[in-house]
Amino acid sequence: MKKLLAMMLAMFALAGVAFAAGPAIDLQTASWDQIVAAAKAEGSVTFYAWYFPDYFKEAAADFEKQYGIKANVIIGDQTANFNKAIAEKDMQVGTIDVMIVGGQWVKTTTDLNLFYGPIRNILPDANKMPATAWEVQEGVLIKGYLAPFHRNQTGILYDPDRVKNPPQTWDELVAWINAHPKEFGFCDPSKGGSGQSFVHTAIGALTGGLEKYKGDKELVPAKVANWDIVWKWFNDNKDKMTITVSNNDSIIRMNGGEISMTVAWDDNVKDMISKGNLFKRAKMYIPKMGLAGGGDTLGVLKNAKNKAAALVWINFIQSKEQQLKKFQMVGAYPARTDLPIEGTLLSEEDRKNNAIPWFPAPYKDYMIKEFVKNVLMK
Amino acid sequence: MAELAIAKKQKTPWYVSQARRKRSFAILLTTFFIVMQIVWVGLPIFMTVLWSLVDPNHPWSYPNILPEKLSWGQWVYVFKYTNIIRALKTSYTIAPFAVLLSFILSLPTAYVLGRKQIPGKKFFQTIVLLPIIMPGMVVALFLSRVFTAFGLAQSFIGLVLAHTLMGLPYMIRVLTTSFEAIPQDIIDAAENLGANTFTKIKDIFLPMVRPGLLAGMVFAFTTSIEEFNLTFIIGTPTFETIPTILYSFLGYNFIRTNASVVALIMMIPNIVMLFAVENILKSDYLSASLGKL
Repeated sequence: MKKLLAMMLAMFALAGVAFAAGPAIDLQTASWDQIVAAAKAEGSVTFYAWYFPDYFKEAAADFEKQYGIKANVIIGDQTANFNKAIAEKDMQVGTIDVMIVGGQWVKTTTDLNLFYGPIRNILPDANKMPATAWEVQEGVLIKGYLAPFHRNQTGILYDPDRVKNPPQTWDELVAWINAHPKEFGFCDPSKGGSGQSFVHTAIGALTGGLEKYKGDKELVPAKVANWDIVWKWFNDNKDKMTITVSNNDSIIRMNGGEISMTVAWDDNVKDMISKGNLFKRAKMYIPKMGLAGGGDTLGVLKNAKNKAAALVWINFIQSKEQQLKKFQMVGAYPARTDLPIEGTLLSEEDRKNNAIPWFPAPYKDYMIKEFVKNVLMK
Repeated sequence: MAELAIAKKQKTPWYVSQARRKRSFAILLTTFFIVMQIVWVGLPIFMTVLWSLVDPNHPWSYPNILPEKLSWGQWVYVFKYTNIIRALKTSYTIAPFAVLLSFILSLPTAYVLGRKQIPGKKFFQTIVLLPIIMPGMVVALFLSRVFTAFGLAQSFIGLVLAHTLMGLPYMIRVLTTSFEAIPQDIIDAAENLGANTFTKIKDIFLPMVRPGLLAGMVFAFTTSIEEFNLTFIIGTPTFETIPTILYSFLGYNFIRTNASVVALIMMIPNIVMLFAVENILKSDYLSASLGKL
C-alpha cells in the first residue's frame, strides 16, 4: 500500500512538473515554422465563439485536415463566454485557448489583462489587415494583443415596401420619425452595438460633431457637458420610436412588421436572411450622417494551454481562403484588405465615404451609462 | 292553468337547481382551464414547432400569418453544425445520476425536516432553498473556483454534483411536505407490531412519500436537463449539454428558428416523461392511510 502511494505521488509530481513547464519555445522570438511545429506537438486548440456555428465547424474540419491539429469549437453565449474566461483568470491553466472578443467586453477584458500578447508581431499575415484594426477596437487601445478577423458595419436597415425615401441626414431622419411614429426602432445601447451606433451618431449630430473626442485617453468632462441636449431629444421623441432589447430583436421586429426602419449590423442581417428569419427584400445603407463600424477580434488567453496552436488557428482564420469562405458562407466582411469582394449588403462606396470610427472607449462607456440613466429610467 | 304553472315551478327542488348550478359552474371552470392551457401552453408550442420548420429560403415575415414554406432545413442545420447528438447523450446521462444523488441526499434531510423537531428548523428549511434563490451565473462563477480547487471541474462527477446541487432544493421541499403528511398513528401501530427501522422505511415511509418522491424526481430531472450556467462554466469544453447549445441561439445572438429546434429537442422528451410519471403518480397509500379509500 505504501509503495503504491509513493509511486502515485511520484507520478503526480512528474505530471505537475511537465504541466507547469509551459511551451518549450518563446513565442515572441521563435520563427513561424517553429511555432507551427510546437502547435502540432500540442495537438489541439479550444476555441470559444458565440456565432457562425456553421462556418466554424467547417473551418475546424479544414484546420484539422491542413495541420493535423484538432480544433474544439464551442459556440456559447457572449456573456457566458466572457464570464467563464474571467472566472478562470486566476487558474494556472484555463480551459479556453482562443476566443472571439467583441462589444463592450473588449474594454472589460483589456482592463483585466486577460490576453497574451502582443501577437501582431508574431502572425505572418498581420500586415494584410488594416493597421487601425490592430490598434483600436470599440474605442479601446488593444495594442496588437487582439487579432482582427472580420469587420462589420452598422447601417440603416429598412423595408423598401414601406420606406420610400430613406433618410440620409439627421434632419431627414428626424422628419421621417415624426411622419411615421413608432416605425423606427433601435436597440437599447446597453444591450447591443447597433443601438450604441445610433446614439453615437445622435451625439455627433446634436452636439457639434465627434472629432473633438478623438485621441482622448480619458473622459474630458467639459466635452460631455452639453450631452444633456441629446438626452432631452431622446426623451422628447421616445414615444415616436421603438426601443428594442438586442441587435437581433431589432431585425426580428422588422420581420414581424412592427417597425420598418432600424439600425443593424450588416453581418447580423445577412445571417438572419440566410436562415429565413428576415424577408429577402430588406435593404441596407450607411447614411451620409455616418454610422460606426468595427469588427471582432480573436485573442489568446494568458493562461491558455495551447498557445502555439491558438496562434496557428488565428493565422488560419486570417488566411485568404478562410476569409473568403467565411464571407461566402455567412456574409461576414473580411478583415483582410487584399480580397476582392462582391455581393455585400453595404456598398464599398458607402463604407469608404460614410462609415465613421467610434469615439474613444471612455466616452462610449459614459454614453451607455448616461443613456440608461437619463432616457431609459425616466 | 295557473295551478299547473305553479305545480311545474314547484317541481324543481332547491337542491336539484343548486346541483345544476354547481355542475354548470364546474363545466365553465373546466372550459376556461382548457382554453387557458391551449393559449398559454399549446399556442407557444405550436409556434415553436412552426418556427422550427420555416424553410431557410422562405422567411416567415409580416404579414403572413403562417410560414410560406415548411421544410426540415432548420433541423438539418442544427444536426449538421452543432454537437447536438453528443449533447443529448451527455444531458440524458447526467440527469439520472443527478436525480439518484438528489434522492439519496434529500431523503434523510427531508425526514428530519418533516418529522423531527430540531433547533433552527426554520433556518435550515430556508437555506436548503439557497441554490435556486441565488442567480445561476453567480452560483456558477463561485462554484467553479471551488470545483477547480478540488479538481472536479471538467469532470463527469463534478457536473453530476453541480446538477444535484440545483435539484436538491426541489426534492427536499417536496419530500419534507410528504413526510409531514404521514400520520403518526400508522408508525406507532407498526412499532407496536414489532417493525424495525428497515421495515418502517420499506413498508411505511417509502410507499407513502412516493407521490412526493416522483414529483421531486420530475423537478430534479427537468432542472438537470435545463441547467445552463453551471454546465457552461464548469463543464465546457469537455462536456456540452442541450442548454449550452440552446443558449448559443437563445442568448445574445437570438436566432428564433434554430432556437426553436433545440428547444423542441429539449422539451419533447420531458413532456413525454411528465405524462408517464403522471400515470405512475398515485396517492393510494396516503389516501388509504387517512381512511379515504
